[in-house]
Amino acid sequence: MKVLVAVKRVIDYNVKVRVKADNSDVDLTNVKMAMNPFCEIAVEEAVRLKEKGIASEIVVVSIGPKVAQEQIRTALALGADRGILIETEEKLEPLTVAKLLKGVVEKEQPQIVLMGKQTIDSDNNQTGQMLGALTGMPQGTFASEVAVDGDKVNVTREIDGGLRTVALNLPAIVTTDLRLNEPRYASLPNIMKAKRKPLDTTTPADLGVEVKSTLSLVKVTPPAERSAGIKVDSVATLVDKLKNDAKVL
Amino acid sequence: MAKDIQGLGLGLAVRFSGSEFAKKYKLRRPAEKLAYAGTKKGFEVIGQMVAKKKAKKSEDPKMLPEPSTAGLFDLTLSEEQQMIKDTVRSYAEEVVRGLAHDANEDMKLPETYLQDIMDLGLNYFSVPESMGGAAQSYSPTTNAIIAEELAWGDFSLAYATLAPVAVANAIVKWGNQKQKEKYLPEYLAETPVKAAIAVQEPAPLFDPAKLSAKAKKTKAGYTISGVKSLVPFGGEASMYLVAARYKRRNRLFIVPGDAPGVQWQAAPAMGLRATATGTLTLDKVLLGPDALLGDDSFNFEAFMDLGQLHWCALAIGACQAALDYLIPYVNEREAFGEPISHRQAVAFMVANIGIELESMRLMVWRAAALAEAGKPFHREAYLAHILCSEKAMEIGTNAVQLLGGHGFTKEHPAERWYRDLRVLACINGGMHL
Repeated sequence: MKVLVAVKRVIDYNVKVRVKADNSDVDLTNVKMAMNPFCEIAVEEAVRLKEKGIASEIVVVSIGPKVAQEQIRTALALGADRGILIETEEKLEPLTVAKLLKGVVEKEQPQIVLMGKQTIDSDNNQTGQMLGALTGMPQGTFASEVAVDGDKVNVTREIDGGLRTVALNLPAIVTTDLRLNEPRYASLPNIMKAKRKPLDTTTPADLGVEVKSTLSLVKVTPPAERSAGIKVDSVATLVDKLKNDAKVL
Repeated sequence: MAKDIQGLGLGLAVRFSGSEFAKKYKLRRPAEKLAYAGTKKGFEVIGQMVAKKKAKKSEDPKMLPEPSTAGLFDLTLSEEQQMIKDTVRSYAEEVVRGLAHDANEDMKLPETYLQDIMDLGLNYFSVPESMGGAAQSYSPTTNAIIAEELAWGDFSLAYATLAPVAVANAIVKWGNQKQKEKYLPEYLAETPVKAAIAVQEPAPLFDPAKLSAKAKKTKAGYTISGVKSLVPFGGEASMYLVAARYKRRNRLFIVPGDAPGVQWQAAPAMGLRATATGTLTLDKVLLGPDALLGDDSFNFEAFMDLGQLHWCALAIGACQAALDYLIPYVNEREAFGEPISHRQAVAFMVANIGIELESMRLMVWRAAALAEAGKPFHREAYLAHILCSEKAMEIGTNAVQLLGGHGFTKEHPAERWYRDLRVLACINGGMHL
């Protein structure tokens, strides 16, 4: 079975994000970039499916500038078989991404599309769902467990107050949550081998998708700095403050 | 008084404007102008002249072509190197750093450490592809990057991880087919290999060029005797690569850890404590005919230089760890109502660590790049070793100092870094050769 994994290049989760001086956007100059952590979980799950003998080929796709190849290579080093980069310098919104992925899905005909539930840059949590709507494939979002069973996949979803397991007919879309797995480290030999795995580049035009933005970013502001705390001299004052000022008791 | 000085300056300028020297180099007119306008104005004139000259240059039709980037002194890592660096760093951060404190206190490697780190596949990395490994070429630069990133997690644990790799690298580089077939498959097995290079000897002013360990040819192979110090792995190593004098040259011998006459005795040191260092005594150990590594073309100097670069790279990692630890500390730690980094004495020390560390890295990378290109690199490796020995100590001690009283305690890792970093100046002839 073929598995398609979508990955995105985002600011490394360790980096403290800065906002541009004119508040127009996040400052990306000289910032370390990495694969979105949820996408890493999706890659790991695909590799595990392959190790179990369920998946036969893992195709990894990314959309973005040429440098997004780095993230595809990382996925190849983790165990994916081949990569596709849809190269564009344009700003992308979830609907465009979903349309582009639909193009890849039609071409590749995967049985399972694995993707992160959201990316840590814009936190939209929309692309998987939109791809489901566009392709008509069933979707299992926020997966914390994925079990392929014949021509079905059982996806345990993390929902408010508990877990919910859905059985989806293949082909299906699964978006990964944090607790699905713990991604491995790419071994050094696999990093070297990744160089020789095929990586094709295509463009939105090749897929017949026009990249246009229906959203405009108005303003980006950093969260307000936390004001300094105060010291109280007795437990009584503390309780009083918690009750009357903070109103948490 | 001030007037007098200006007068003297002007006098000099006047004298200069009339000199042969000025005439010869067509400096007369500007110099006259200088003398005329007085010192301050004169400097403005010079500034304008330089600016004019520059402007003229850019109009010149024979302007220099755009520089090509091909000849650029480019230190950008390749895509693979960057990925290796990132992977090893995250392993160092998430796994190695957390084990470092206890490993140092217990003076032994954490139970499953060597097994766990096989996830990174460093063992495969040293064995050529043709033998089932993953090494595509020998790359001292990539090795330096790996050593640095692992040592960022912990110096001792990085050394324990890479000592067996260094043995494999030497066998790959200098060993004959028989030796490769005999010793390298061990690296492809499921269990970690414990092996180490043993050069250091417990002699005053030890010089690796003048070894006292000696080997002789026998009918069945070789016999070797000598004493080696700072040998890791608590006597559990399956093989040692021992440097010894043979036929008036320095050579390496592969010595099985369990050969009769091989004795290991614990000798804990100031640093490298997690690796359980000790003294290795070889008493007329009988070795087979394949024990001598390499043929007559074996280059002991290059072997030592590569080893030194390896130590340097480990030191760079630990120094970087110290710097990364210090910067937030000095910005957060307050004294006299403000962060201590507001004091120049503190800020300059931190800045110097950053500058020195970068120079260490540049020198090591340069030497490694020359080695990788197959060019002579002895001088560069030597200079890198001297700089790293000296500055590693300094950075270690300054890291302790900048943490103040805290630095002296075991609550912070600075004292461990200091002790480990001290090793560079003490081994393989230290910094005095």
